[in-house]
Amino acid sequence: MRANQLTDLNVMVAGQGGDGSLTVTSILGELLARRGYHLYMSRNVASRIKGGHAAAMMRGSLEQRGCQGDNIDILLAFDQEAVDMAASRMAANGVIIFDTSDGDLNREGLADSIDIIEVPFGRFAVRDLRRNLFKNSLSFGVLSSILSIDEDEAINCLRHSFQRLPEDAIVANINAFDSGRKFFSELPQQPDLRMLANVEREKHLLITGNEAVAFGFLAAGGRFFAGYPITPATEVLEWVQKYGSRFNVQVTQAEDELAAVNMALGAAMTGVRAMTATSGPGFALMQETISHAGSAEIPLVVVNCQRAGPSTGMPTKTEQSDINMMVFGANGDFPRIVLAPGGPHDCFDLAVQATNLAQQLQCPVILALDQMIGQDSTTVEPFNLEAVVLQHGKRVDAATLQEMTEYRRYEITDDGVSPWAVPGTPGGESLVTGNERNEWGLVSSNPENRRNMVDKRQRKLDSNLHLLPRGNSQGDADAEIGLLGIGMQLGVIEEVWQRLSAQGVRIKFLQPRTLWPVLDETIEFTNSCKRVYVIEHNQAAQLAHLLLGEGANKAGIKSILKYDGQPFGAGELCAKIQQEEAGQ
Amino acid sequence: MTKTFQPGDPIWCAGCGHYGVRNALQAAFQQLDVESHQTMVLAGIGCAGTLQNNVNAYGFHAMHGRVLPAATGVKLANPSLDVIAVGGDGDGYAIGCGHLVHSFKRNTGVVYILMNNGIYGLTKGQNSPTAETAEQAFDGVQLGLSIAGSSFIARGSSAAPTQLQKLMVAAIEHSRAGRGFAFLEVLSPCVTYNDTYPKWAGRMVDVDTITGYDPYSRTGAFTTVHDLNAENRFATGLIYQQDSIGSERQWLDSGQAAVCDLDIDPALQMSDFREIMDDYGV
Ligand SMILES: Cc1ncc(C[n+]2csc(CCOP(=O)(O)OP(=O)(O)O)c2C)c(N)n1
Ligand code: SF4
Repeated sequence: MRANQLTDLNVMVAGQGGDGSLTVTSILGELLARRGYHLYMSRNVASRIKGGHAAAMMRGSLEQRGCQGDNIDILLAFDQEAVDMAASRMAANGVIIFDTSDGDLNREGLADSIDIIEVPFGRFAVRDLRRNLFKNSLSFGVLSSILSIDEDEAINCLRHSFQRLPEDAIVANINAFDSGRKFFSELPQQPDLRMLANVEREKHLLITGNEAVAFGFLAAGGRFFAGYPITPATEVLEWVQKYGSRFNVQVTQAEDELAAVNMALGAAMTGVRAMTATSGPGFALMQETISHAGSAEIPLVVVNCQRAGPSTGMPTKTEQSDINMMVFGANGDFPRIVLAPGGPHDCFDLAVQATNLAQQLQCPVILALDQMIGQDSTTVEPFNLEAVVLQHGKRVDAATLQEMTEYRRYEITDDGVSPWAVPGTPGGESLVTGNERNEWGLVSSNPENRRNMVDKRQRKLDSNLHLLPRGNSQGDADAEIGLLGIGMQLGVIEEVWQRLSAQGVRIKFLQPRTLWPVLDETIEFTNSCKRVYVIEHNQAAQLAHLLLGEGANKAGIKSILKYDGQPFGAGELCAKIQQEEAGQ
Repeated sequence: MTKTFQPGDPIWCAGCGHYGVRNALQAAFQQLDVESHQTMVLAGIGCAGTLQNNVNAYGFHAMHGRVLPAATGVKLANPSLDVIAVGGDGDGYAIGCGHLVHSFKRNTGVVYILMNNGIYGLTKGQNSPTAETAEQAFDGVQLGLSIAGSSFIARGSSAAPTQLQKLMVAAIEHSRAGRGFAFLEVLSPCVTYNDTYPKWAGRMVDVDTITGYDPYSRTGAFTTVHDLNAENRFATGLIYQQDSIGSERQWLDSGQAAVCDLDIDPALQMSDFREIMDDYGV
């Protein structure tokens, strides 16, 4: 790699009119991926139907990253608002490509060192071409020139990106692209060209957490899905609709979340692996049934891709403010598992585990995602399909039943898990109920039976903790400073940890993947630090309170909270921690 | 034989209409030679929602109002089961009414027996949507008729056991034939909080006794039900049916297998999984 090559490139494309006009990031992404870069792509859209200001962000880096970079190296701005929005994050040596169709650029707040290329997009309007496409291709002409990509390579990517279009439309796009190249070559003042690296890397997947979670469920034998559309979880439903038919998956778009979760529950009772997916408001509606699955001991997987609440909140913005609801929500005491993946690869792995755990422990398992994990796409290593092993728990079939003298659906066992025969199995007729009942499933409020049943259900968790996914941790075990966060925080924390470690700070981090029950390793981690920064996207420090309740030392916990709908950047978080540390 | 749960005796008040419903259901099971392990009875919450404890089958107690989606999930996942959902009028016409509307529309082959007593029995006597108060009482039969997808609508009474058994048999057969959702409302009085036996006596008109009545005519059915209601009477019998194809049968007809029968071993579908991964390859 040559010294002047870009190792970490952040591009932002922004403008009015929804995000259709922002697909230039995908074309550029294709190009960067071919050059061996890793990608991290996100969209920042207004929470409205169509239009509004939208931005697409793409990070291409030679190292794998789990979040956007701090600074914007190249901004493609289709209006002044885009520039104003990005100004504070522009890299000093950045480039702004500005659409002057609606007026000249106001350079206020922009460093002189920034290269500015003003393009009168309107003048290039190509008839017969949808404006969005044309904008993308023309911009890509300019962008590929700045990045010193030769024409053949660029056209190749463009063709690939538009492969589903008819040939004449592709040619029209190539013409638009050519105009962009020509415009750039004729600029009176040529900006410095940027150089991309060209490295080999193994093939990766560019995928979102929502897609990966659906994939993991499918791989783990999931064959029934019922859902109700809600941002930012809808892609899970869409994914199973798209890929499910090949695998004979039953997918139902239900009339509401109550129906969705109860359909999944019904299917689960037949022994089919079933899941539903939703976001905060829908998850709130599902509470009663989650408690029911806990009481009646039915395996159920529920994805909650969190968005900014409360209430309808900010549907397209990220947050982690449903931790309390996922861990403590719904009536009564019952065992549940909450798993929190830290990226798309983890989404796949934990969806597999969630699907298995539900069968093994016969209880609800919640997958805690957030908008950033769910909707951002990033390059991850291919999923390890060979490692997917199905666990069936204590399912009993007709043959086994025949050998048993008695079958008690809610038999009190050492590990709390009872044998389970599904409807259709001769000899397994049983009562499944959310009422307190005796071992036979018959309603009972006998005090002793009640105690035994509550304890039995809790034992399912207590005696099976070894099955729960361990956290992801790095750093010197003796380090006194710790970082702790779940879900979307992982990518940011990893980068902060790298930077601070590189500066000689002794620091370690933990991403707990089992959020509930809180594992001993999590508390051991917090209590082994003099100071542990618990980083979360909510105002109430829900995660920190969870840890405190489970034995974390209060004195050592320092909450870093954000609830403006925007994810942390590594630089921003580094600065916060350094500031805190300086005050120690 | 493996020993498993034995259905208990009902806990209803002496004289409760729900006894008649259970008896008719058991008789229908016998008449059809229903196998207990191939049958699942799901119940909502309420006095009506304890019936699953008193029949020999796989039983499930759903949350209040959620029996229909749960039963739909069971039937979609395992279409070979006879899936019977039961519940009260509070369960089905109040808290769960949204699901009733969509069950008519979805037309999945669940048999739904709704015990209408015009009252909330279990919570001790509050009005239900069908309470005959000054306002117009809610009529589930008319609701069902108004939804184009509905395929089986019947009403019986626990005071007319022979007709009730016949209707239950017809409902189960409708579902077994893959025609879809079979809705059977049963006038089942609550003797403790709303004894409608005397109030309802003499007001029921069996559509079989109406000359020329055609249960395949939606408009005819609607007119009859509406006109009888206007005279303060109720239509009973098999009010409407259609030879439609239930959603679970459509699934099977399209060449898909019942999901409960699938071999889900991931090794069997490795190449399909790889193809999906290829879609995401960069
Ligand atoms: C979510 C919820 N709300 C309220 C209740 C209390 N509740 C139990 S049964 C019932 C009404 C039962 O009436 P109905 O469905 O007509 O059946 P019946 O008892 O008359 O047979 C109510 C309101 C509950 N169990 N769950
Ligand atoms: S309260 Fe009414 S509905 Fe409930 S069991 Fe008694 S008579 Fe039947």
